[in-house]
Parts: sequence; structure tokens; C-alpha cells
Amino acid sequence: MIRWLQKLYYPIQAGHYRLEKHSIGLTLAIIFAAMIGGFVEIAPLFTIDETVEEAPDMRLYTPLEQAGRDIYIREGCYACHSQMIRTLVDEVDRYGAYSLAVESKYDHPMLWGSKRTGPDLARLGGKYSDDWHVAHLIDPRAVVPESVMPHYAFLAQRRLETESLPARLAALGKVGVPYDAAMIENAERDARGQANPDSDDAGGVAERYGEATQIRPFDGDTARLTEMDALVAYLQILGKLTDAASRIETAAIEADMEAAQ
Amino acid sequence: MIAKFTVAERQWSLVLLVLTALAGLAMAALGAGDAMGVHGFIVLIVSLGLIFVVGGGLFAPEPTEDRRRAYYDDPIKLGLVLAMVWAVIGMGVGDWVAWMLAYPEARFDAAWSSFGRVRPVHTTGVIFGFGGNALIATSMHVMQRTSRARMAGQVSPWFVIIGYNLFVVMAVSGYLMGVTQSKEYAEAEWYADIWLVIVWVTYFVLYIRTLARRNEPHIYVANWYYLAFILVVAVLHIINNLAMPASLTAAKSYSLFSGVQDAMTQWWYGHNAVAFFLTAGFLGMLYYYLPKRANRPIYSYRLSILSFWGITFFYIWVGSHHLHYTALPHWVQTLGMTFSVMLLVPSWASAGNALMTLNGAWHKVRDDATLRFMFVAAVFYGLSTFEGSFLAIRPVNSLSHYTDWTVAHVHAGAMGWVALITFGAIYAAVPMIWRRETMYSWKLVEWHFWLALAGTMIYVFAMWNSGIVQGLMWRTYNEAGTLQYSFVDTLVAMHPYYIARAIGGLLFLTGAVVGSYNIWMTIREVGHEAKARDVPTDSEAGEPAVPVAE
Amino acid sequence: MSVKKRDPLTGHQTTGHEWNGITELNTRVPRVIWWFILVTHLYALIAWVLLPAWPGITGYTKGILGIDQQERVERQVADLRAARAPWRDRIAAATVENIRADPDLSAKVAETGPALFGDNCAACHGAQGQGGPGYPSLVDDAWLWGGDAEAVLETLRVGINADHPDTRFAQMLSFDGILSRDEIRTVAAYVQSLSGMETGADPDRLAEGQVLFMDNCASCHGDAATGNTDLGAPNLTDDHWIYGGDDAAIFTTILRGREGWMPAWEGRLDLADRKILAAYIQDLKGQAQ
Ligand code: HEC
Ligand code: HEC
Ligand code: HEC
Ligand code: HEM
Ligand code: HEM
Ligand SMILES: [Ca+2]
Ligand SMILES: [Ca+2]
Ligand SMILES: [Cu+2]
Repeated sequence: MIRWLQKLYYPIQAGHYRLEKHSIGLTLAIIFAAMIGGFVEIAPLFTIDETVEEAPDMRLYTPLEQAGRDIYIREGCYACHSQMIRTLVDEVDRYGAYSLAVESKYDHPMLWGSKRTGPDLARLGGKYSDDWHVAHLIDPRAVVPESVMPHYAFLAQRRLETESLPARLAALGKVGVPYDAAMIENAERDARGQANPDSDDAGGVAERYGEATQIRPFDGDTARLTEMDALVAYLQILGKLTDAASRIETAAIEADMEAAQ
Repeated sequence: MIAKFTVAERQWSLVLLVLTALAGLAMAALGAGDAMGVHGFIVLIVSLGLIFVVGGGLFAPEPTEDRRRAYYDDPIKLGLVLAMVWAVIGMGVGDWVAWMLAYPEARFDAAWSSFGRVRPVHTTGVIFGFGGNALIATSMHVMQRTSRARMAGQVSPWFVIIGYNLFVVMAVSGYLMGVTQSKEYAEAEWYADIWLVIVWVTYFVLYIRTLARRNEPHIYVANWYYLAFILVVAVLHIINNLAMPASLTAAKSYSLFSGVQDAMTQWWYGHNAVAFFLTAGFLGMLYYYLPKRANRPIYSYRLSILSFWGITFFYIWVGSHHLHYTALPHWVQTLGMTFSVMLLVPSWASAGNALMTLNGAWHKVRDDATLRFMFVAAVFYGLSTFEGSFLAIRPVNSLSHYTDWTVAHVHAGAMGWVALITFGAIYAAVPMIWRRETMYSWKLVEWHFWLALAGTMIYVFAMWNSGIVQGLMWRTYNEAGTLQYSFVDTLVAMHPYYIARAIGGLLFLTGAVVGSYNIWMTIREVGHEAKARDVPTDSEAGEPAVPVAE
Repeated sequence: MSVKKRDPLTGHQTTGHEWNGITELNTRVPRVIWWFILVTHLYALIAWVLLPAWPGITGYTKGILGIDQQERVERQVADLRAARAPWRDRIAAATVENIRADPDLSAKVAETGPALFGDNCAACHGAQGQGGPGYPSLVDDAWLWGGDAEAVLETLRVGINADHPDTRFAQMLSFDGILSRDEIRTVAAYVQSLSGMETGADPDRLAEGQVLFMDNCASCHGDAATGNTDLGAPNLTDDHWIYGGDDAAIFTTILRGREGWMPAWEGRLDLADRKILAAYIQDLKGQAQ
């Protein structure tokens, strides 16, 4: 066996011996050897249908939520928080149904994370109140004394920049998120309306993004549209873009109960 | 330094600088009110400063022709100095960040100083600032010496080093302003990414042209690795950074890929940033400075071939081990896991090759801290690749992922391998490049060594402990079959380890500061070497033997 | 022309080439490496046969074990649920009193409660259920919706002012524009006096406050200001405060109104979990006293 391996290696050595005399040859060989793996692993993710589950009820981030997502990225929350519940019992027990690929289908980029200094946030939406989020972001240790999370009090003061929202939605449209022309055109109004249920702008949000859209003064103040509004709106939608995951879980429990009978 | 440029080269540089100044001006004007505008100003100021420098020497006499018969080391000096500057910045910020995790109020009451914004300053500062400059500078040194040829060009090496550092400055200053794509190790925004592509292509052309000039029939191992580093990093960088800017006059962009495809592309990049930046490049460094310093032949040429192609081929497959148990399809995870295990062979083959090369030079390892840096680095390289392959096994990863165990592994590799080999190589290179007889103080090198080793050990052991404790706490079930600890319980358990880590980091940082001082004093105080001049000459030995015959 | 030398130390031959002073030995690849390759590649081959591994264009090899990580965790979760079912079913069926009376079940509550409470409730109600500004203490005897277990369980199920269709609804009106600021200060002083606080207000002012209270507040908080558990209106005569009992806090409460949000847990925690929590709150209370 070993002899056989050694024999196999001779032509490789001899080939290399010739190759190392030609810089361009070496260059091409390196590129070739190094590209195979990436191609085999990435290309099929676009062609194998079952990679991303079907979820007809999947909805889009509203402009306010997307603005919040951009703030989440800007502040580097992903450095401490994952948004990916792995297929492990303890994670399902602690955080809820494991995450599905479809749930981050519109996430450019994904924010699955690689470190949990803080807890996973994939199913955070609805777990706490807006007020709690505001208080927590302003001073995490006021509500959780053991916390090591940074404070973000300035978010409540800073006006949300909405002028670039149409361009941002349009860019997302170009990379494949199905925002339509009306959504792009009304992005600024929708952002304002979602944080101010009493305003005229609120109606359009539900119309364009569905009745289930949360329309509330997220930072508690309808008079001003702040970065806090956007971030909290985003945190409150995490895990709620589609019901696909809980449907799978319910189906599994039912199947299990049937089997038990 | 301008005096060595030909008049044509000076004019060329001016044209280039005026172009970048204009680009900077355009960015500053159009991107006003956005972080891009700030970056425009930085580009503009740097370009104007350099125009000043080049303009000042514009009318100096033409250099003599005999410069062609010497190696061109001036840009390397800049690269090495910048590497040490970034080492102190990057590790200083790393230690700050470490204290922040123990004492979250150890920061300024300003948005830019929050953990999430500062952490990537650390990772980019050490990997790209410190590691990148060291790689580029040493590669320029190694390629000339092992090709017995002067670098192909005098303008392009400066462009590569200065342009590259401009990229790093744009990246880290961007994070502090909240400009990030959130893709780990590729956080810089689209215009900085494009700029890096330009710099990198120039680097490749410079490298390949220098190799083409070589007076050696064969290309030395170190160059295979440097070449792989340059090529693969280019491909990874371009593909992972594909993005759609929201506006051409602002920084924000959205990744071309989303969800699961984005995750795979990101970690295909992320892992191979480790492989081809933090491993292949530094193996190139090791393959030159270690045998040179030990004055021993490489243990086995044939083993070099095996490990080189093994590393080049296998590494690319393993990125999916960062996504075990996630929504990434199971089949990709199996590939990532199995290739990671197979990858251990070439990894250990190269670590073994380095250690066996020291056979017959162990007394030097004992006496010479510079060589000892490289020896310990090779040991840590072996250790962290073993750990990596172990962590890539799914059940192990189920425990380690998301915890400080990953951070322990990262720093066993990053401090123990990457930083130590770099310090060793720099201590070996500085006297060669500045033509000094020795370093200013061998005692300080000794001090640096022990500080670095102690710092690494404390850091890594603290994080192993905290990672494993945290991972176990997360999954501990009590007798009732329910979770034993809440998340906050685990947070409290981390606190002492975070303090220990920050102290270890402080030792490591102190070492880097001591090293910088030593290098500075070497440049300033130590007398010039009287030995024979180090110049390109024709190869004395001919063809190496075909490997099959012994 | 190559100058092959033998390395005196190892006895191996060099390849005969030299790069800037560096030479290389032509040593064979050590046998151990081949063994190493053999073992690791065998491991990989076996894994590829057993597990999902190689992709095609529209599918991938499923592996002969037929393992899929999602099905696998679903089975594990089901097993875990089945293992817990004997006692959890009993908890789900029992009343909170019975749970606490049963030593076996209360042991389970003691084991399960801390992490469950820590991961879901402590963020608002504090690690020991002690409450905090805006979040009621769960270990005192002051209950907005009544302290019996049924009421607590219902609160946990539907939340307060939450997004559950049956959610409890509780709103402290904003009296901005209804009462003048002076009147608000007056009624606030009266409210403070109810819990025996020293307010410094003279009896006339308190009497005036009482009138204001009867007109505006008693409909919810009751004539005696002892609260109304149907409306979630707190008792104002005890010294437990959600938002604080100092002048400023009470003034703000009356001026701006309050509408606390307690999330609904039905979608997140099953009945057994909610009962465990209801029982665990009682444990916490015992510890607090
Ligand atoms: C230094 C690391 C760190 C950073 C950066 C960080 N967090 Fe946290 N986060 C934590 C820790 C630790 C906790 C757990 C303790 C607590 O609740 O505060 C936490 C908890 C949370 C929670 C409560 C989750 C739960 O289920 O209890 C939310 C929501 C949250 N963070 C959001 C954010 C957002 C949004 C950002 C960015 C603007 C952010 N975090 C940045 C460390 C961090
Ligand atoms: C987002 C913050 C938040 C979280 C998380 C939370 N609560 Fe509450 N809870 C509240 C608030 C606010 C109130 C009071 C509502 C009001 O003011 O009307 C409340 C009220 C209650 C009440 C009613 C108290 C009474 O006097 O009638 C109970 C019982 C309770 N919570 C238990 C829990 C338990 C158990 C959990 C965990 C599963 C929990 N809470 C999680 C915010 C929260
Ligand atoms: C529509 C019913 C209603 C009316 C009228 C009303 N309250 Fe309230 N009040 C509530 C409810 C419900 C709460 C609890 C709100 C919460 O916890 O979110 C409350 C809370 C309070 C609190 C806070 C108690 C604490 O623990 O911090 C005070 C003080 C108070 N009310 C005083 C008054 C006074 C004084 C008036 C009249 C001027 C008044 N209320 C009128 C329903 C009412
Ligand atoms: C003074 C020495 C150092 C200290 C104190 C330090 C500290 C830190 C800290 C605190 C983190 C964040 C960990 C977390 O989020 O929990 C980190 C991450 C990181 N550091 Fe360092 N570091 C040091 C040296 C280095 C060096 C020399 C390198 C590379 C050459 C490096 C590369 C990294 C990388 C890649 C990460 C990201 C890890 C991940 O995402 O898993 N560090 N470091
Ligand atoms: C055989 C070689 C190696 C293998 C198979 C390997 C494998 C791994 C694995 C499995 C992880 C954890 C992924 C996760 O759970 O999130 C990881 C993380 C990491 N490794 Fe390695 N590793 C190897 C060598 C190295 C070396 C030499 C370095 C040098 C610095 C290094 C740097 C890193 C970094 C920076 C990360 C953190 C990535 C992140 O999450 O941000 N690795 N590696
Ligand atoms: Ca990471
Ligand atoms: Ca980038
Ligand atoms: Cu990796």
C-alpha cells in the first residue's frame, strides 16, 4: 500500500520539478489546484433546489427594518451575536427552532456570526418589549448587571438618515431582493410611517409589506425618527419574516405524537 | 531614495500621484458628508505629501547605471518599519478590546469606541497591517535573493507598499466611522476593496517579473508559497467582495450573495485568508529565514513538494468547517470536515520539515533568540493546525463553535505562529537589509522572546479554559433533562479568564514594543557591516537533482 | 552541472542546488507521512460513503447511513421531549399548588426554573425576580392581575399589551391636558399619602387630591385606591412601585400615562414551562423573604 502511494508520488514530484522552472506554469497550476474545491462547494449551492427551502409567506424587510439592519452592521453587533441556531438539541432548547436557509434568503450579507459573546438573536423578535430594548441599548448594565455589552445611548439621539433609503432598496433590488418600484419610491415615507402609527404614512406600510407589519413608535417617541427606532424595529422582526421554521417544528412534533400512538 | 529613480521614473511617479490626488479630491468632494469623503481627504493628503517628496527630488541628477547590479531594498525598509508600527497599533487595540470584554466601560463615551467597531481594527491591524506588511516586505527580500535578481522596477514596489498601507488605513479608519461590510476579515467597503485589487495586481506583476529575471533555473520553495499567497488571496478577495454600492458617492454597499450562499462564500474566503495569508505567506517566510539563520539545508525537498501541493489543494475545501450544524447543507459540512482532517498531513509535513531542518543546529536554537522565535513558531504552527483539524470535526465543533475555544485556536495560530515567525524573520532580516553587523541588543531580543512566549501561553490557556467551560455550560443538562445554566451564568463564568487573557496580551504587546525599540536603535546606532557586498550574481551551482534519484 | 554533497550530519544528499546560501536535502518522504496519508484519506473515504458528501448539479450523495442533520436534531429533540414527558405531562396537568405540594415535581421546578427564568424573564424582572424600574417585582405580594396561579399563568400565556390576540390590556391614561400640572402634583401627593409617605402637603391639599382622585382615578384604581385586578390597575396604597414612588416618577406616570409591555409566551414556552415558571416565582418569593 505504502509502496503504491510512493509510486504514485513520483510523477507528481517529477511534474513539479519541471513546473518549478516556469513561473507562469507554476502560476497557472496554483490557480487550478486552488480553485477546484471552491467551485465544487459553492456552485451547487445555486443549482440544488433543496438548499433553500420554500417559504411562500416570506416577507421583505421594510425600509425601517433594513435601515436598522444597516445600523446593526455598522455597530458591529455581529461581532458578539450570532443569528444562527444550529441543529443541536441544546440550542433548539434555549433559542427555539433551528434556523433555516430560507430565513436569511434576503440577507445581503448574512449575519450568522462566528462568536457568541452575547446570546443568539435569530428568534429575538417579540421576546422583549420595545421599551426594554431601548433601555438595554442605552445602558445594558442598568437592566442586566452582568452584561459586557457596550452602551449605545447615542442611537436614541441621532436622527435616522432616510434620504438614501430609496437608493439602498434599489441596490438590494439589483442583487435580488424583490423590492418593487412603489416600495423603492415610498421608502422614506414608509420608514417614517412605520414608527408613527398615527401618521398618514402608516397606512402605506401595511399595504406594501403586509398586515402583520409591526407599526409602532419603537423608541417611544413619535415626534422623532431616530436610529433607535430603526434598530429596535429590526430586532423585533428577527425570526419573524417567515413561519417556515415553526411549521417544520410543529410538523415534527405531530409526526412524533402520531408515531407514539 | 528619489535619487535612485531615473528621471523618467520620477515623472511617472508624479503622474501617478497626481492621478491619485485627483481621485482623492473627487472622493472628498462627491462623498462629502459620508465617510467616503473623509477617505477622499486621506488619499488627497497622502498623495500631496508624496508629490512634495517626489517633486523635491525631480531635478536631481540621473542615478548611475551600476545601481542595476545591486538589490533594491529601500521599499523593504519602509515595509518592515510599517509592519512594526502596525504590530504595536494592532496589538495595542487587541489588548484594549480584551480589557473591554472584562470591563465594558473601559472605553470612551463615543460611538467609535464600542467593541463592535474596534474589534475589526484589531483583526485588520494585525493581519493586514502587521502580517501583510511583513509578508510584502520579506517577499521582496526573498524573491530578489533567491532569484539573484534585482526587483523588476523601482516605482512599483513603492506603489505596492504605500498603496497597500493606504488600503489598511482606509479600512481601519472606516470601521471606527461605522463603515463595514460585516464580512469578517473583508470588512472594508467597496472602494477600498477595488483599490486593493489594483495594488495587488501590481504586486503580482512585480513578483512574476522579478521571477522572470531570475538567474536561477529553479524557483525556490519560499517563492512557491509567496506566489500562492499572492494569487489565491487575489481570487478570494475579488469574489468575496462582490457587492452593489447603494451610491457611487457613498460607502454603503450590499453583498452580491445572500444567506447560505453568502455564508459559504464568506467562509471559503475567511478560511483561506487563514490558509493563504496567515499560512502560505508565512511558510514562504519560514522557508527562507529559518534555514538561513540556522545555516542548515532544508530537511527534505521532496517533503516540500508534498506539503506545498497538499496545502494548495486541500485548504480550499475546508471553509465549510466554520458552518457546521448551520443551515448550510450537510454535504458541504462533510466535505469541509474530511478535507480538514486530510489537510493535517501537509500541515504537519511542513512543520516537520522546518523542525527537522534544525537538526544539527539545536545549540543555535538554545543560544540565539532569533532562531528560537522561528523554532517556537514552527511548533505552534504544528499545534494550531492539529487543533484546527480537530475543531473541524463536527462533534468537536458543536462544542467549540461560537466560544472562546475558537479564539484560543486563532491566537495559538496568530500569536504563536504568525507573530513569532514574523518577529524571528524581522530580527534576521533587519541586519541584512540595513547592513548592520547585529541587532542593537541581543538581550532585548531575548526579553522579547520570553514576553511573547509567556503572553501567548497565558492568552491561549485562558481562552481554552473559558471556551471549553462556556461550551460545556451551554449544553449542560440537569437530571430533569432541562438546561442547567442561563446565558448570563456563562457570562459571569468568563470574567476571570477575560482578565487573564488581557494580562497575557499586555505581555505580548510589551514584547512588540521592546522589539520595535530594538529595531529602531539598530537602524540608528549600530555600525555598518564590513562584510562582502550582497549583490545579484550568477548562480554557482547548476541544476538541482531530480527528486526521484537519491 | 550540479554539485551534490552529502550532509555530514544526516548523511543525506543535497539536491546539489543552492539559493542564496540555502541548500536542500533530497531526503525521501518519511514513511510515517505515507501512513498518515493513508489513515486520513481512509477516514475521509469512509465518511463520504456514510454521510451526505458529494454534490452533483441538482442533488448530492446521501450517504448510506441516511443521516441528515435536520432530521437528526428533530429526532433528538423528540427523544428529549419524550424523556421529559413523564414529569412534564404531570406538571402540565397539575395546578401550581399541587406542583409545589408534590416533592418530586417541585424538585423539577427547582432544577428547571433558574435557567428558564434566567434566559427569558430575568432581563426584565431581574435575576431574583426583584423587578426594576418599569418592571414589577414578582416576589412581593402586589399583583396587577391577582396573585393566584391561574391569573399568573394567563398573564404568561397572553402577555400584557403584547401582540397576542387575547393579550391583557392595561393602560394608565395620560392626564396631560385633562388635569393641570398643579392638579397632577396635588393628586400625586394624595397618592403618596395613601402609602403613608411623608409628602409635606397640608390636609387641605390632600383633601383636594382625594377629590381629584375620586373623579379621575377611582374608576380604575378603586375608591380605596387598592387597585383593580380586572384592569391590571395597581394598588396604590402599598409601598410597591413599578415606576417608582418619588414625586417625579408619579408625576410622569400621571402626566404621560403608562403602558407596560409584558411579552406573550405562548408561542415560545409550552404550558409545562409556563407552569414551572409560575411555581418558580413562588420559590423565588420564598427565598426573598
Ligand atoms: C461586547 C459584545 C457585545 C456587543 C458588541 C453587542 N452585544 Fe448585545 N449582548 C452582549 C451580551 C454579553 C449580552 C447578554 C447580557 C445582556 O442581556 O446584556 C447581550 C444581549 C443582547 C440582547 C438581549 C438578547 C437576549 O435574548 O437576552 C440584545 C437584543 C442585544 N444584545 C442586541 C445587541 C445589538 C443590537 C448590538 C449592536 C448595536 C449589540 N447587542 C452589541 C454583548 C454584546
Ligand atoms: C420585556 C420585558 C419582560 C419580560 C422578558 C418578562 N416580563 Fe413579565 N412583565 C413585564 C412588564 C412590563 C410587566 C407589567 C406590565 C404592566 O405594567 O402592566 C410584567 C408583568 C408580569 C407578571 C404580572 C405581575 C402582576 O403583578 O400581575 C408576571 C407574573 C410576569 N410578568 C412574569 C414574567 C415571567 C415568568 C417572565 C418570563 C417568562 C416574564 N414575566 C418576562 C415585562 C417583562
Ligand atoms: C384607565 C384606567 C386608569 C385610570 C383612569 C388611572 N389609572 Fe393609574 N394605572 C392604571 C394601570 C392599568 C396602571 C398600570 C400601568 C402599567 O403598569 O403599565 C396604572 C398605574 C398607575 C401608577 C403607577 C403605579 C406604580 O406601581 O408605579 C400610579 C401612581 C397611578 N396609576 C396613579 C393614577 C392616578 C393618580 C390616576 C388618576 C389621575 C390614575 N392612576 C388613573 C390604570 C388607570
Ligand atoms: C497583544 C496581543 C493580542 C491581544 C490582546 C488580542 C486580543 C484579541 C481579542 C480580545 C479578540 C476578540 C475576541 C472575541 O471577540 O471574543 C481578538 C480577536 C482576534 N485576533 Fe487578537 N489579540 C492579540 C494578537 C493578535 C495577533 C498577533 C493576531 C494575528 C496576527 C490576532 C488575530 C486575531 C483574529 C483573527 C481575531 C478574530 C478571531 C475570531 O473572530 O474568532 N490577534 N484578539
Ligand atoms: C490545518 C489547519 C487548520 C484547520 C483545519 C483549522 C480549522 C479551524 C476551525 C475548525 C475553526 C473554527 C471555526 C468555527 O467553529 O467557527 C478555525 C477558526 C480559525 N482559525 Fe483555524 N485552522 C487551521 C489552522 C489555522 C492557522 C495556522 C491559523 C493562523 C492564524 C488559523 C486561524 C484561524 C482563525 C483566525 C479562525 C477564526 C475564524 C473566525 O471565526 O473568525 N487556523 N480554524
Ligand atoms: Ca470570528
Ligand atoms: Ca470588503
Ligand atoms: Cu477555517
